[in-house]
Amino acid sequence: MTIVVGFSPEKGGRAALELAVLLARSGQQEPLLVTTVTPQHWTTPSMARVDAEFQAWATGQGEAALRQAGEFLSGKAPDLEVSYRQVAGRSVPAALAKACADAGGSLLVLGSSRDSRPGQVVLGSTSEPLLHSSRFPVAIAPRGYRAHCAGISRMTCSYSGTEESGDLLVAVAEMSRRIGGTLRVVTFGVRGRTMYPPEVGLAAEDMVLAQWKEQIQGFQRQALHRLSELGLLPDSATAAIATGTDWADAMDEVEWLAGEVLVIGSSPLGTLARVFLGSRATKIIRYSPVPVVVVPAAVASKVADGVESESVTDPDG
Amino acid sequence: MRAGVEHGAELKRTIGTFQLTMFGVGATVGTGIFFVLSEAVPKSGPSVIISFLIAGLAAGLAAICYAELASTIPVSGSTYSYAYAALGEVVAMGVAACLLLEYGVSTAAVAVGWSQYLNKLFDNLFGFQLPAALSHAPWDDDPGVLNLPAVILVVLCALLLIRGASESAAVNTVMVIIKLSVLGMFIVIAFTAFDTDNLADFAPYGVSGIGMAAGTIFFSFIGLDAVSTAGEEVKDPQRTMPRAIIFALLTGVTIYVLLALTAVAAQPWTEFDGQEAGLAQILENIVGSPWPGTVVAAGAVISIFSVTLVTMYGQTRILFAMGRDGMLPRQFAQVNPRSQTPVFNTIVVAIIVSILAALVPLDKLADLVSIGTLVAFIVVSLGVIILRRTMPDIPRGFKVPGYPVTPVLSIVACVYVLSGLSWITYAWFLVWLAVVLAFYFLWGRRHSELNPGAKVVDPDNPIQGGQL
Repeated sequence: MTIVVGFSPEKGGRAALELAVLLARSGQQEPLLVTTVTPQHWTTPSMARVDAEFQAWATGQGEAALRQAGEFLSGKAPDLEVSYRQVAGRSVPAALAKACADAGGSLLVLGSSRDSRPGQVVLGSTSEPLLHSSRFPVAIAPRGYRAHCAGISRMTCSYSGTEESGDLLVAVAEMSRRIGGTLRVVTFGVRGRTMYPPEVGLAAEDMVLAQWKEQIQGFQRQALHRLSELGLLPDSATAAIATGTDWADAMDEVEWLAGEVLVIGSSPLGTLARVFLGSRATKIIRYSPVPVVVVPAAVASKVADGVESESVTDPDG
Repeated sequence: MRAGVEHGAELKRTIGTFQLTMFGVGATVGTGIFFVLSEAVPKSGPSVIISFLIAGLAAGLAAICYAELASTIPVSGSTYSYAYAALGEVVAMGVAACLLLEYGVSTAAVAVGWSQYLNKLFDNLFGFQLPAALSHAPWDDDPGVLNLPAVILVVLCALLLIRGASESAAVNTVMVIIKLSVLGMFIVIAFTAFDTDNLADFAPYGVSGIGMAAGTIFFSFIGLDAVSTAGEEVKDPQRTMPRAIIFALLTGVTIYVLLALTAVAAQPWTEFDGQEAGLAQILENIVGSPWPGTVVAAGAVISIFSVTLVTMYGQTRILFAMGRDGMLPRQFAQVNPRSQTPVFNTIVVAIIVSILAALVPLDKLADLVSIGTLVAFIVVSLGVIILRRTMPDIPRGFKVPGYPVTPVLSIVACVYVLSGLSWITYAWFLVWLAVVLAFYFLWGRRHSELNPGAKVVDPDNPIQGGQL
């Protein structure tokens, strides 16, 4: 399965390539496809060929970008099988999604927005719409990301306790078994803010958080049990609950390794629900110190169904 | 604003007298004062001023006792938690029944009052009012079908709570300023129409009238106990706590008394009966122009919204604590993993409060709130005396000054205020208490956590330290 990199030299392109190399080298080596999107020229027939000049310039820009990516990759990863493609499109996210589908890609890798600080994952105008509409998993590198590692050292699955995130965990465990490295299940939670004036005391939310922790411990036990029944639970697997007074705090609560990747499910709910409930995933992504892979709920549940039916037909597997 | 409690770390004592006073004023002023006059003045006439003093005295004494109980028992939360830890399950269940009135029913009452001011605001701004059928309860003096704005307010607050919204300390301060400014404006304008003739018939129903009004007015002093629940984080509680309670009480009583005095001097006491959005209406009559009414109505709509949110939140967290103790079905203590808030609990509270707000008139709700709160306060004062006898050596962060006179006075004052409530209120209260205790004996007793024979918790060892 091909890993497709959305490359734009200015917009975190280098970090995206670094992450793509790390992912491609993990487990069985996979081919890379570096894609850059150039503006679509006008197709209106015209004797004067008014848009030809712009088209030529755009193509030149795209070629220069791909050349730059090629120089970097031939130095960094001469062993990888890399191809390059320039696609024209009016919308960068749509063109990338189409290129990924055409190439039979399994994963789309992007950099962070230029608005982010170094080390931070921030969604930009390309990644944001892709996360809400993509049918493939999307990996996003923090700004200025450098892998410092030959392969993925650990995959952390952000597990929220819902059914969808149970499927995600199965999918992550399955992938983790294929590519090696360890598996970690983490549930992130934030203590509710104290209500003022404190009519029932200032610690009411501590009680809610304690209850939430108890529930999550139960959910995690069940989820790990399901993994071990599917034969997907490595001995090195760990589980943790990270809490804080805000998301930055909670994300800080756990250790992060070099070469670690955080996997999170995208919300299966529609726009209204996302806006209404507030997206926990968006906040987890924003404060993640490691690259994030966002897996659509449909992909995760398909993988989970596949693994489950496989384990039914082949109990030894 | 960051949460007041430092996560995971040892509690820091950071709250000073001013902030604590703000908690008390924020929780107290605004709950009832915007609409209690039109319920209380018809019972007592201008002597309602004395009723305010009596109700304030009872609330203040009870709050001081509350502070000792809160500092004695190493659990945090409401009277329910203290009663559960110190006085056992049956008393805790009785207290819980009272608190459901103090929080749940008062949410409904406050929402009904909000609906009056919203209608007033609509009328003044857009010349449009909701028809009585959609803004009055069926058993109101001016009967309608249901009180729709009140229901909408309750639903909005429930949605905010499910989303995990909360009011920060900064917003609380802003709300306090809005309430105090609006009430201050009322006092100043109403003072211009001061007419001693209106005070001539000072106590038309004599002492009994004063007592009856005090019972209704007590509603406007609930929330003063908010000061006491913050005990663990208060700097030098022995000094700060009584000061904050007294400052908050003095602020409240001063404003209430001035407001009541200027209001009853501005119009004959017989005109109060059935006056909706009372404060706004009085000002309009004085000035002869709608603008002061509009300002008061706008201030009331904003600040009562926040009161509803805070009170409803309190109700959900009390039920949450009960669910965790096994006194209620476990669903009440379930946290939704997606929103990390007790969604089931909040929805149940919203449904019940909506039904009350939609169908029951304000005066009935206010009296039920008063009786519940007064009984809870009596239990608190008794609790102080009982614990001084049964556990004299336990460390207390704050001790009631003037023991044993203070708790006894508190009980006497509360009983006196109680005596003014009507027999219908007593009847409803007793029915309610009976229902709750019956539930306890039939269900809670066998499921509760304190009862060792009926452990319902998962006996599995929890994952320690977050690692498997």
